Amino acid sequence: MSAVARRPIEPLTAAAPAPLFALKGITKRFAGVTALDDVSLDLHGGEVHMLMGENGAGKSTLMKVLCGAYRSDGGSFEADGRPVTVTSAADARRLGVAVIFQEYSLVPHLDIAHNVFLGREPRGRLPGLIDHARMHREARAVLDRLGLDLDTRRTVEGLGIAQQQMIEIAKALSQQARILVLDEPTAALSDRETERLFAVIGDLRRDGVAMAYISHRMAEVFTLGDRVTVLRDGRRIASMPAGEATADELVTLMVGRKVDMSYRRDDRPAPGARVLEMRDVSATSGIHDVSLHVRVGEIVGLAGLVGSGRTEVARAIFGADAVTSGTIRIDDRVHRGGPTQARGHGLGLIPESRKQQGLALSRTVGDNLLVAGLRRLFPSSLYRPGRAHEHGASMISRMRIATRGPRQVSRNLSGGNQQKVVIGKWLLAGTRIYLFDEPTRGIDVGAKEEIFRLIDQLVKDGCAVLMISSELSEIVRVCDRAYVMKEKRIAGELSQAELSETNLLRLAMHHD
Amino acid sequence: MTEATARKPRIPIPGVAWLLIALVAGFSIGAPGFASGANVSNITQQATVLLLLALPMTLIIMAEGLDLSMGASLSLCTVVLAATSLATGSLALGIAAAIVTGTLIGVLNGALIAWLDLPPFVVTLGTLGVAQGLALLVAEGRGTTGVGGGLSSLWTGTVLGLPIPLLFAVGAWAVFHVLLHHTRFGVAVIGLGGNREALRLAAMPVRGSLIAVYALGGFFVGVAALLLAGRLDGGHPTAAIGTEFDAIAAVAVGGTLFEGGKGSLGGTVLGVLTVGVMRNGMNLMSMPSSLQVAAVGGVVIAALLIDAVRGTPRAEPA
Amino acid sequence: MNAVATNLSLTPEQRAVLSRVLVLILLGAGIAFASSTFLNTGNLLNLLRQASLIFLLASGLTLVVLCGGLDLSIGANVALSACLAATAMKATGSPLVGCAAGAACGLAVGTVNGLLVTRVRIPPFIATYGTLWIIHGVTYWYMAGESVHGFPPAFRALGSGYWLGVPVPVYLMGIVLVLGTFFLQYTAWGQEIYATGANTEAAALSGVPVLQRRLLVYVLSGGMAGLASLVFLARLNSAEGDMGEALTLQAIGAVLIGGTSLFGGSGSLTGTLVGALILTAVLNGMNLLGISANWQPLITGLIVIASVGADALSRRRRSD
Repeated sequence: MSAVARRPIEPLTAAAPAPLFALKGITKRFAGVTALDDVSLDLHGGEVHMLMGENGAGKSTLMKVLCGAYRSDGGSFEADGRPVTVTSAADARRLGVAVIFQEYSLVPHLDIAHNVFLGREPRGRLPGLIDHARMHREARAVLDRLGLDLDTRRTVEGLGIAQQQMIEIAKALSQQARILVLDEPTAALSDRETERLFAVIGDLRRDGVAMAYISHRMAEVFTLGDRVTVLRDGRRIASMPAGEATADELVTLMVGRKVDMSYRRDDRPAPGARVLEMRDVSATSGIHDVSLHVRVGEIVGLAGLVGSGRTEVARAIFGADAVTSGTIRIDDRVHRGGPTQARGHGLGLIPESRKQQGLALSRTVGDNLLVAGLRRLFPSSLYRPGRAHEHGASMISRMRIATRGPRQVSRNLSGGNQQKVVIGKWLLAGTRIYLFDEPTRGIDVGAKEEIFRLIDQLVKDGCAVLMISSELSEIVRVCDRAYVMKEKRIAGELSQAELSETNLLRLAMHHD
Repeated sequence: MTEATARKPRIPIPGVAWLLIALVAGFSIGAPGFASGANVSNITQQATVLLLLALPMTLIIMAEGLDLSMGASLSLCTVVLAATSLATGSLALGIAAAIVTGTLIGVLNGALIAWLDLPPFVVTLGTLGVAQGLALLVAEGRGTTGVGGGLSSLWTGTVLGLPIPLLFAVGAWAVFHVLLHHTRFGVAVIGLGGNREALRLAAMPVRGSLIAVYALGGFFVGVAALLLAGRLDGGHPTAAIGTEFDAIAAVAVGGTLFEGGKGSLGGTVLGVLTVGVMRNGMNLMSMPSSLQVAAVGGVVIAALLIDAVRGTPRAEPA
Repeated sequence: MNAVATNLSLTPEQRAVLSRVLVLILLGAGIAFASSTFLNTGNLLNLLRQASLIFLLASGLTLVVLCGGLDLSIGANVALSACLAATAMKATGSPLVGCAAGAACGLAVGTVNGLLVTRVRIPPFIATYGTLWIIHGVTYWYMAGESVHGFPPAFRALGSGYWLGVPVPVYLMGIVLVLGTFFLQYTAWGQEIYATGANTEAAALSGVPVLQRRLLVYVLSGGMAGLASLVFLARLNSAEGDMGEALTLQAIGAVLIGGTSLFGGSGSLTGTLVGALILTAVLNGMNLLGISANWQPLITGLIVIASVGADALSRRRRSD
């Protein structure tokens, strides 16, 4: 993370000016669940206010209330000390609120300029018409400010995730907002783009814009933040200047208990035979000449910038994308085919997007746990609901999944528990080679540790793991060794001794 | 940050153009009287009614919707036009009644789909039944002719030497071109198909736009009824059965996708001509109408097959 | 099975079916109140016979919808299969040959639909809407405006016969219900079909052979249309090009009224059965009360909209 000069913290005096925007005592309920309970937040101009909390603590909900996507059930709003109402996206916009969302809100078949100005297209000569020339001019200006070298006339479809996020940022910037909400904006960005964004945030600070910034990255909080507020279970637990906080203290406040962050990669048996091997594999997804191997008992990391091809490697191994050349060997036998064959050979994929690719949210926890193991657990193809229920219940207790039972609908589980279901699904399928794609993305601190322990237990039980992660610290903590990808090829391999964040980053960004 | 090479949206217009050329060539050889000036103007005239349905259908399909009720609604509007004109003695009132009827059915479709969040094909299948039933009831199962009062001149008349139906068609195309490419409504239509949540977050009227797109379709069904009634010099409760199928076929063949908000008005025009050429050629070859319908269905599938082979994906892989 | 037996709470799906049974009972009571002939044994048996036909057709469609697809061509399939069965029977004099022809035709159409959807990747409603019109045309052309009638009594019993006082089609309905429910709830294939419908991508990435399952349900749907065509033919005792035009809408109605979700992944054959009974009862009631047949498509359409709407509202309430 590059160093952006931190503003010296000014002591808070009684004569502090009224916040640019204040949420007072906001309460929000969904079908009997209280998502926000009397939460207050002050946003001052020229300040970055960090919002922290576990998943489900209410950070995104609070921001959605702020920008009018949700209507609050209680509480009030003030702008510059005057009471205002926010009941719709239009209200929020009028008050000068702009949001950079985590879920991308771009329309694929519209061009960049249209996406940046969605809903705010400049009026043309006749009423109802759009002034295209002006729209593209102004879009070009915003893109240049962000260092985005893209043609405003090209459609958003086909752009990488990082570029889409940058266009989201452009969209918010072009609104010239007084209050900017950023919901984990760097999650998909490379370091260079993050630098760019931080520079822009510096500009906005000088312009007196108030910023609310949701982050799971401790380093960001201390680099960028002026103030920190911690939410837990829908309540505001504490607010303090960023300079007065420590990482441990923040984590304790978020979790409400002392978190055992003691997981260390130790006492693992020496790795065994090669169980998965790729030789010069190229695929339709664009990866080229990828060679790597994983042995029994190992956790092998796969690092690289967003868009470097890591997910594509996992998909090629699992048969989700077609392989055009090279061989994949399982236990030294050549392996071909799609996901069904992959499963049969002991492979399991825990995909990047668990809600879209890992689970059927409308089905029960039990159904989701059983779906990959049907053939293994019921070899005669006769399905016994009672036996299935037992398998499900025992997996739930083995993995400590917080759910009422196999009959609960999966949609209602928290992110961490949903991820456990996806892992449990492959356990029930008798998987020996696990392919993890960002296993702890969007998962709170406590659940992350549990996932690491689970992965550790897997390899102790004789399995092999290939783990893709964008958090370099995670790879260093958890993996035995790692490959680094750059631009759809393997850039290098780091042994255990060489494994460090610096080395990983260097390989990901430079040729050696 | 490297600039990604700007890719033009791949709308397979060349595909349907080849198809059209092949059909024209084939029919010129195989169908007596096909390649004559009179027949060409025949084709274009008859295609205008279909175009008036296919253009709004393009927008509806781009918005990830569907309107199966257009044919039944069109029949109903002709019946209403005839009945109102005869009952009140005023053609103008009849015309107004037809347009109002079509628009109302469009609004009904839009309201049920937007407010109750019901799947479009179920809703419009239902309104198809409703409209068809109403048409049969009002017309008592029979057709009406001899309305007169200038009605048939809507079909056969000319203004400045150009046939009125052609003027309708060109006017409709102009309206839709401006709507789709130069207004916020057009952006909303693409967004409805591409990412509705994005529209919501951008404070654009999702429900309103959805209702508007179906209402627009209903309005143009009413306008199309003017031409059709002019051709029949009256109304008939089953005159337009299955027309929505031809419209959907024209839109599909013209390259508009059913998911994602990607579409082309120019492609629809070519698609309408393709379907029109097929119908005309098959008529000249005295093919029974049921086989004709089968052939149109085959062409749609063929167009989709060609796209699949050429690697232009139309649907998400199963 | 012990765990299932001890857990008495009903799944949302079971509750949906139960609420529809309630609707059916209330409906029946209402019609019986309005018409003195509704509860006659003859009328009720007739109602069951008609509902069985719809159910047979709708059962295959239920599988297709559960798997996330759609089949609009089933009505046309019935017509073509019936006509082929009829002419084959006339030509050879053997009901067996006729049945084989009808079944084969149904399966063939189903296979074509399945391949168009899974191999050529055409969206299901376009593919089956297209094949619908193609089959329609082929049937018309094949029959050339003529009709075939007069089939051996052994065959006719399939549609209009009784056994132990109950119409034969009702037994077929029962067999299909039992076998079909067993297939869906107690086999791995059934679970995979539900998984494919609920989230196709997640199912594929869990190793479920989604394309194979989707093809399977279309073949089964075609096969059921073939079976339904035989029962239909046996009851009508004649075949012509435009037979069964109302059947598609009624079958779709039965599936949707029965609570199977158009989005895939939830629903049951029992629900479709109740849906078929509700639909047939309404149509029967309309006949008894002297309402003109012109209203039927209208009423069917309205009921379908109403039940899909009710489902959508209850789903929204649940997920909020």
